[in-house]
Amino acid sequence: MAKAAKKPVKVDPITLSVVRGILETTQREMTLSLEKTARSSVFNLAHDYSTALFNAVPEMILQGQDIPIHLGSLIPAMKVVAGYFGDDIHEGDLIIHNDPAWGGSHAIDTCFYRPVFWKGKLKYWTVCKGHLTDVGGPVPAGYNPGAKEIYAECLRIPPVKVWDRGQPRKDVLNFILTNMRARRDQEGDFNALIGACQVGERALLNMLEKYGEAEVDACIATLLDMAEKQMRGLIASVPDGTYEGAAILEDAGHGFGDFEIRAKVTIKADTCHIEISSPPQIPYFINSYEGNSYSGVYLGLMMFAQLPPPYNEGLYRCVTVDMGPKGTLCNAREPAPHMNCTTTPMETLTDAVRLAFEKAVPSKVSASWGHANGLNIAGWDKRHDEEYVTMVLATIISGAGATPSQDGWHACGPECCFGALTSGDVELLEYSYPIIIHRYSLMTDSGGAGKFRGGSGTAWEVEPLNDDMTFITFGEGRRIPAVGAAGAASTMTDEKVGRLELVKGGDAKTIRENVIEVIKPGDRITNMNPGGGGYGDPMERAVEKVVWDVKNGLVSLKGAKEDYGVVITDAATLAVDMNATKALRADRRAGAN
Amino acid sequence: MRTDYRLGIDAGGTFTDFVLADKSGQVRLYKALSTPQDPTQAIRNGLALITEDLGVPAEKIISNCDLCINGTTVGLNALIQHKGAKTGLICTAGHEDSLEIRLGHKEDGYRYDPEYPPATMLVPRYLRRGIRERVLSDGSVREALNEADVRAACEVFKAEGVETVAISFVWSVLHPDHERRAGEILREMLPDVILTLGSELYPQVREYTRTSTAVVNAYLAPIMKRYVTAVDAYFQSLGAKQPVRYYQSNGGLAIGQAMTDRSVYAINSGPASAPAAGQYVCEPFGKTDVITVDMGGTSFDITLTKGGVTNVNKNIDFLRYRIGVPMIQVETLGAGGGSIGWIDEMGLMQMGPQSAGSDPGPACYGQGGAEPTVSDANLVLGYLNPDGLVGGRLPLDAKLARAAVKTKLADPLGLSVERAAYGMFTIVNANMVNGIRRVTVERGYDPRDFVLVGAGGATAAHICALAADMGIDTIVLPKLASGLCAFGQIISDVKYNYMATAPLRLDNDAAYARIDSLFNEIEAQGIAHLKADGFARKDIDIRRSLDMRYVGQVHECTVEIGTFKVDAKSIAKIKEAFHKRHEELYTYSERHSTVEVVNIESTVYGRVDKPKRMALGKGTPVAKALKGHRDAVFSADGKRVKTPVYDGGLLGTGAKIAGPAIIEEVTTTIVIEPGWTAALDDSGSYLITRERKGG
Repeated sequence: MAKAAKKPVKVDPITLSVVRGILETTQREMTLSLEKTARSSVFNLAHDYSTALFNAVPEMILQGQDIPIHLGSLIPAMKVVAGYFGDDIHEGDLIIHNDPAWGGSHAIDTCFYRPVFWKGKLKYWTVCKGHLTDVGGPVPAGYNPGAKEIYAECLRIPPVKVWDRGQPRKDVLNFILTNMRARRDQEGDFNALIGACQVGERALLNMLEKYGEAEVDACIATLLDMAEKQMRGLIASVPDGTYEGAAILEDAGHGFGDFEIRAKVTIKADTCHIEISSPPQIPYFINSYEGNSYSGVYLGLMMFAQLPPPYNEGLYRCVTVDMGPKGTLCNAREPAPHMNCTTTPMETLTDAVRLAFEKAVPSKVSASWGHANGLNIAGWDKRHDEEYVTMVLATIISGAGATPSQDGWHACGPECCFGALTSGDVELLEYSYPIIIHRYSLMTDSGGAGKFRGGSGTAWEVEPLNDDMTFITFGEGRRIPAVGAAGAASTMTDEKVGRLELVKGGDAKTIRENVIEVIKPGDRITNMNPGGGGYGDPMERAVEKVVWDVKNGLVSLKGAKEDYGVVITDAATLAVDMNATKALRADRRAGAN
Repeated sequence: MRTDYRLGIDAGGTFTDFVLADKSGQVRLYKALSTPQDPTQAIRNGLALITEDLGVPAEKIISNCDLCINGTTVGLNALIQHKGAKTGLICTAGHEDSLEIRLGHKEDGYRYDPEYPPATMLVPRYLRRGIRERVLSDGSVREALNEADVRAACEVFKAEGVETVAISFVWSVLHPDHERRAGEILREMLPDVILTLGSELYPQVREYTRTSTAVVNAYLAPIMKRYVTAVDAYFQSLGAKQPVRYYQSNGGLAIGQAMTDRSVYAINSGPASAPAAGQYVCEPFGKTDVITVDMGGTSFDITLTKGGVTNVNKNIDFLRYRIGVPMIQVETLGAGGGSIGWIDEMGLMQMGPQSAGSDPGPACYGQGGAEPTVSDANLVLGYLNPDGLVGGRLPLDAKLARAAVKTKLADPLGLSVERAAYGMFTIVNANMVNGIRRVTVERGYDPRDFVLVGAGGATAAHICALAADMGIDTIVLPKLASGLCAFGQIISDVKYNYMATAPLRLDNDAAYARIDSLFNEIEAQGIAHLKADGFARKDIDIRRSLDMRYVGQVHECTVEIGTFKVDAKSIAKIKEAFHKRHEELYTYSERHSTVEVVNIESTVYGRVDKPKRMALGKGTPVAKALKGHRDAVFSADGKRVKTPVYDGGLLGTGAKIAGPAIIEEVTTTIVIEPGWTAALDDSGSYLITRERKGG
């Protein structure tokens, strides 16, 4: 609560608080509108969208609670879009854009930009971005593990006006939608995104009318300055120096081997410079263009900063980023394929940055969260005689990392979303798509071992209802578990990682790569997501907590012994042999040293 | 009202309010301290107060009541404190964890917070037992119920001492037989356990919502049962002629058995009567579009009624638990008289949500509170009487209030004490206005079309400012504001919600016929239920709504429809109502797209006679009610204005007072801001209006 006050600000402090509240409410209204109206389950069930407000500069003046994947990338994208049109922006215009080479994240995240005019002058932009279910290209849902170039992934949309001075350009919209699968859903989602932009516009104009342009401008400028000051204060509390973090990006089937992504964080007084180095880009869909990489870096920064909302661009004024040379994995250039970039390599990039900050400030750390390895599904819905295609967000719900004060949340990840997603109700999914979900559960022994345990990952088991179903896997985290913090490490690692179990024509196999396959009714796939990393030495975890986890099936008897050094002698009563436990734990600690 | 009295009892966090209406229309308000450890004690204490005041023994009052109504926080408190009963869950194998996965989401606002804990599980994982069985999305049975699994689960529950069990299977809503059979086995093996079936309690699509609702219900059922049994017995011992009615969070009354079977309906009943009260006090003015706001010591509750219909929430997170069943939409904020002003890390002044509560309370209470609160600000601004509230029973210390505002806010921000206090007033108002936006603008309503009704002790000082901020020109402020929720209960009807689910595209006659027959089916159940409660058919009303969406959307829009036959002819009317609502909410509609229905709901009402309306009669002339003057602040520059103060107790029908003015009632202080005029109506409410600036 109340800390010592900073020096007084110039604008009326009361109006300032009020304007901040209005901006937050406006963004919330946009978000709600989008969620309630969207067709794509990726929006309306899964919250895979973001809304933001920009001023005329354009600087981001507010971003909501939405998903960190979009945290950084809206900022460069908005600047590119505004720059492209320059003076050719008019009241009633509406711009669409998805292309990563034009500042976007991945092309399936499609963005609408609405310039907001007040008395004939451009004042704001309301911006909505969301993950469509399809964006054209050879493979349904956009993720094509076989793509060697971006041209083999999707329809690329540079900044294009779809409304011109209030007139919808039906021909342009039709051109775009004609290139997409499940057109009805995409069209509905366009309407939802546009509607949300207008909802935001309505609220911003009300604010200007009520408080006046000069007063509001001053308040917004002050809010940006205050955020800047806040981040500078945080950075200044870190000892000057250079801190390095590195994380391994596993080979998820491309055959080029594992890569290392490195982050070098240099703190000097109240500024922070982050330098990324990554290997050359590869002909596989895991290259990240610069806009997307900003999100990865900013998420690593936020895992350290741990700031509550609201967020605006002022936060990043004291932060400079060098993504490394063009043509590298984290600073890709055309024609690099990229569709998987918002999870892979973004989460590894985030880990590298957070590990650098862990060295700088060991007390302010969260263990890494499980990375995403998920499924897209597509096929023909015989019930309605229509095509379906979607990413299944329920398949990427991994465990959260533990923190210095508590166990990681179960089923809350992946890292790139940080709890912002929702996985969708099992009945709504079965109603929307011809599938049977046999299982959606936590997984025994999946949380990383530690004094505080990582959260449990999830298993999602599905069977096609009445026809062939194509599935496409993406992501990674199927060999390397989530990185723990403060010395946490697991002995049983097989249970901590993600993987896909396929039962096809009676044969079972485990898949750890990104593949495209077709299965039939009677076949089943179970996608498993990794648990979160633990925090601290697992030998220090209270014995009762381990027993409670065993009682609840989150840790097995074997896990209790191997991961935590707790010897349970009776499976029914869960009686613990305290002497054997003490000895085993001492042994383990000695072994670790 | 054929008997002498009707009694409403509303338990709040600090006080339990008692509202006693008599035959003549007079309404008396009493307040006793709440006794959360033994909730029936507060009832005894309150009845003692009434006996003392009227000189009539409790037995005589209760046996002369046509209705005794109880709004209780017993369920709410058990849920807040996680003190429900030991609960088991029987669910579809493979889906034991939906309750804990919570759709994989962490609540917004805590994205990077490393200390925000996961929600406490009402049923731990080892008591969530998966049963092999499966119904598919078309209602067909893929795998029959495995009864041995059910029996094995019962053995576990028996060994663990489980008191109450929820049964919730995937798609049970389309095929409830598996849940029913599992229930039979459970009753046979564990006859003393209280049972909740998801498909009976909340027969709507969404497995997680249904399971969670059933679990909350099961968790609270034994607690509610014990409470209801104790209260019923007490009132019977006093000679009550009718069973006690309990207030539900759907805004209606229920008898005790219904409160046990449907405990989840009890959890937010406190503020749920506000809309009924708001409508009632607006009736004399011919207004039906009403926002009722209730500002107490720690929280601010907002409800909305449009055209006589109150907004209802379904499928929301309440105290971090997903609840499906309809609850009156109450937007609650941490903004009350005790809300604390502070300066955040960015150097901005904030109000609340922390509250000084009643201990130590605001600085001006002189009980050791050092933090500046809304009440302190209102005292500094000259709104509140330093001689004290509640007719002088609670004296206030203006010096302490000033000191708290000065040291904690004014000095650090470089403002005068008056400006800082006015800032506190403005910011807490802005917080409340943003809350009102959430129930209006976010839901597609223009607040300017509404009347603002003030309830709760602290609202009246803020009501003009709130109305001005929302662009509202008409306020209704009852003299009884501080007990308005308890009053709302005694004028409410008995109300039960009946639901069904039928995901149907609205493009064929069979779908219309199915919807029509489902309505008739659930309404027949509701009518039977009310008849058993003693209502004649002529006193039973029905309201229908449909949850609709465009094909491909996943979230529905609830649309009220009439009780006409649903067929190929009337369907156009239904679709049109949906398109319109979608436009209001989201700026657009898709008239070419196919519309589908998902859920169906009928609300059945058992109409209860209303007590006679109060008639205030003549009072003294306004000039004679003038008590004196205070220098009050009405602008951001902190300038003081000499403001007349009136004794509201002396005013009668037709009294008219122009702002700036302050009217002191026994349990509330009304601030009439400059530009506003208050006129006291015979019904006991002030109608406060202003000329709209610039049209």
